[in-house]
Amino acid sequence: MITLGHYLVLGAILFCVSVAGIFINRKNVIILLMALELMLLAVNMNFVAFSAFLGDAAGQIFVFFILTVAAAESAIGLAILVLLFRNRATINVEELDTMKG
Amino acid sequence: MTFEALLFYFFAAVMVAASLAVVTLRNPVHCALSLVLTFFTCACLWLLLRAEFLAIALVLVYVGAVMVLFLFVVMMLDIKTLPGREGFTSYLPAGLVVATVMLAELIGLMGARKLMQGGPVRDAATEQGLSNTEWLGRALFSDYILPFEIAAVILTVAIVAAVALTLRRRPNVRTQDPAQQAATRKQDRLRLVDLPHHDGSKQA
Amino acid sequence: MVDNTVAIAISMADVRAMLPELFLLAAAFTILMADLFIAQAQRSVTHWLAIASLLLTGALVWRASGDDSLARSAFGGMYIADQVAAVCKLFILGSTLLAYVYARPHLKPRGLFQGEFYTLTLFAVIGMMLLVSAGNLLSAYLGLEMLALCSYALVALNRDSPLSSEAAMKYFVLGALASGLLLYGMSMVYGATGSLDLGGIRAMSSSNLLHPDLLVFGLVFIVVGIAFKFGAAPFHAWVPDVYQGSPTGVTLFVASAPKVAAFGMAYRLLDNGFGTPALWPNWAAMLSVLAVLSLVIGNVVAIAQTNLKRMLAYSTVSHVGFLLLGIIGGGADGFAASLFYATTYSITVVAAFGLIVLLSRAGFEAEEIDDFRGLNQRSPFHAFLMLVVMASFAGVPLFVGFLAKLQVLKAVIRADALWLAIVGGLCAVVGAFYYLRVIKVMYFDKPVADAPVLGATDAGFRLVLSGNVLALIALGIFGGPLLTWCMRAVAAS
Repeated sequence: MITLGHYLVLGAILFCVSVAGIFINRKNVIILLMALELMLLAVNMNFVAFSAFLGDAAGQIFVFFILTVAAAESAIGLAILVLLFRNRATINVEELDTMKG
Repeated sequence: MTFEALLFYFFAAVMVAASLAVVTLRNPVHCALSLVLTFFTCACLWLLLRAEFLAIALVLVYVGAVMVLFLFVVMMLDIKTLPGREGFTSYLPAGLVVATVMLAELIGLMGARKLMQGGPVRDAATEQGLSNTEWLGRALFSDYILPFEIAAVILTVAIVAAVALTLRRRPNVRTQDPAQQAATRKQDRLRLVDLPHHDGSKQA
Repeated sequence: MVDNTVAIAISMADVRAMLPELFLLAAAFTILMADLFIAQAQRSVTHWLAIASLLLTGALVWRASGDDSLARSAFGGMYIADQVAAVCKLFILGSTLLAYVYARPHLKPRGLFQGEFYTLTLFAVIGMMLLVSAGNLLSAYLGLEMLALCSYALVALNRDSPLSSEAAMKYFVLGALASGLLLYGMSMVYGATGSLDLGGIRAMSSSNLLHPDLLVFGLVFIVVGIAFKFGAAPFHAWVPDVYQGSPTGVTLFVASAPKVAAFGMAYRLLDNGFGTPALWPNWAAMLSVLAVLSLVIGNVVAIAQTNLKRMLAYSTVSHVGFLLLGIIGGGADGFAASLFYATTYSITVVAAFGLIVLLSRAGFEAEEIDDFRGLNQRSPFHAFLMLVVMASFAGVPLFVGFLAKLQVLKAVIRADALWLAIVGGLCAVVGAFYYLRVIKVMYFDKPVADAPVLGATDAGFRLVLSGNVLALIALGIFGGPLLTWCMRAVAAS
């Protein structure tokens, strides 16, 4: 039988894939942003699973808001990305080192 | 193994594979498409959890809007100038080790083994004789009305911020002003002149 | 047959309880719309409208905090209007107001004096007010995101500056990562307690838990998320870049009020949510590590900086370390000490960046410490103001920074963590070194030949700045009432 534990492990796997993605992507900010979306998906997976197994609406409501805010967040993130590309002509994470100290 | 368990393992396998593709593929367009697949299979998993509304919302909001935005930006930034993945492999072993160790720790710490002995999904909505959407809607517009309104403000903020960052008025670009075009009168553009005939006489 | 009507549950009592936020929201939307019809030459109208709405909101908060007929919680516990929230809000509004006054002369010559600066900061203030009043994980998350989204955009506001967009990108990626970690923790806490309400979580965690392991597990992620938002080491990577990369007018805002809001968030989550005696040792141990790292890294790295904005950024990391010390102390005394630290820090740091604005002018930023060489010979009064700010940061007696550090150290000692107090004291001594270096540069170094004159600022600006700085001395000597106010607020909440 599929239990809460199965879904939580799945969420944990997604979370780790996303952290690994942030770790290994030093070249491209867009893929970094996609990895962050994966992290939010892991969170949503947890919330939906808890909500379903508790029989409580609050978890699913929270996911509703995470989806809304994440959409707003990625709009601003991509706007900043476009700005960065226009100013620096690069989206390579390793080249973003103008400020040091 | 029940049919539901079979579906769970199938969708879970596809989702993990797709999410790995997101972080390892070379071409950002392929990454974005893998992310679409991840979201889509996740929506299928949520259907198994009887969270129909969120499953549909995930497809509509993410696959429909957010990923299109991502693809749009990838295309706009001209993929040929985007950096490749040289040096990618140098971080791969470290990333793999970190991820595996973290996963083991996460699963161990949250006591997944114990959680796997729990009961089945409780379909609270059906217990109350409601559909999932109605059940969520009732909670949303009663207990969670304040967050709902705050979310509306956040979306406004996102519009203001995105416009403030990317809208630029370029002084040298020629544009049409439809209002001005529509408001022109015949007298402004057209001048009737009497031209003399080639023999010098004026027409009557 | 199911009853198909759903009552939308907004009662008049709920609306009255959160009147300040609603007023500011209406004002922000009005300014957003009105600004579209204002010509660039009349942009000051937006400026004064924004200042007026902050003042009125402050008055509403002040009035509501003394009105006992108002509900202390609204929307089913989603929103809490207690005394701690009132103190935090008044200082958030106050430091934003100061930031407006100081930012204008900096933004104007750089073409950044736009309506967007005001609307985005006002929305950020609303986010902060909601955050410090959050009674539920959901409203805390939404308030936090409203603040964060506005901050990302503000940092990138100078659209033609590569430095700004680079700083904004870093801020965005790390901020989104922090939100992700915080949410992962929140999901675990929800799973463990079955509740999103902070009061409910507290009640559940001291009795029967659904999944006890998950609660502590989630707490780890929540503490990391809070540390990220505070800018505590080792999660401080964004702080220096954001301070240096954003226009000084924006740094003024980002560096001051959000620190008070971050304290508010920590208070809500760690006291209202996880403040039970059983959970306290868990998060206090994690915070101790973060506090020590922040104190050491912040102070040591700040010594090596030549850019004043960057130096102040690392000094912020060390001040966050002190702030965390108070929270570790826990209890009413500890949180009151931290609240006092956060509020006084917000008005000190805003004065510090105001002084940078004072020295800058079009085409010259006055960001390097060397730009302050021999300031005493050029303008003794402004050198004196800078002296007061630096002395207060360093924690010299008679200045407010000393009083704040003293309270925090007392709270830690009371909580039997003497070693933390010793680390804090030692780091304060190390910290004094780089503040004193700025003072030395101003008073004992010769000005360079083409030393810049002071930037063009009006009399109002100078008056407010002087008042702000003198308040640091006044609070240092007569800080008792503010301290008592903070203690009463925490004790009553």
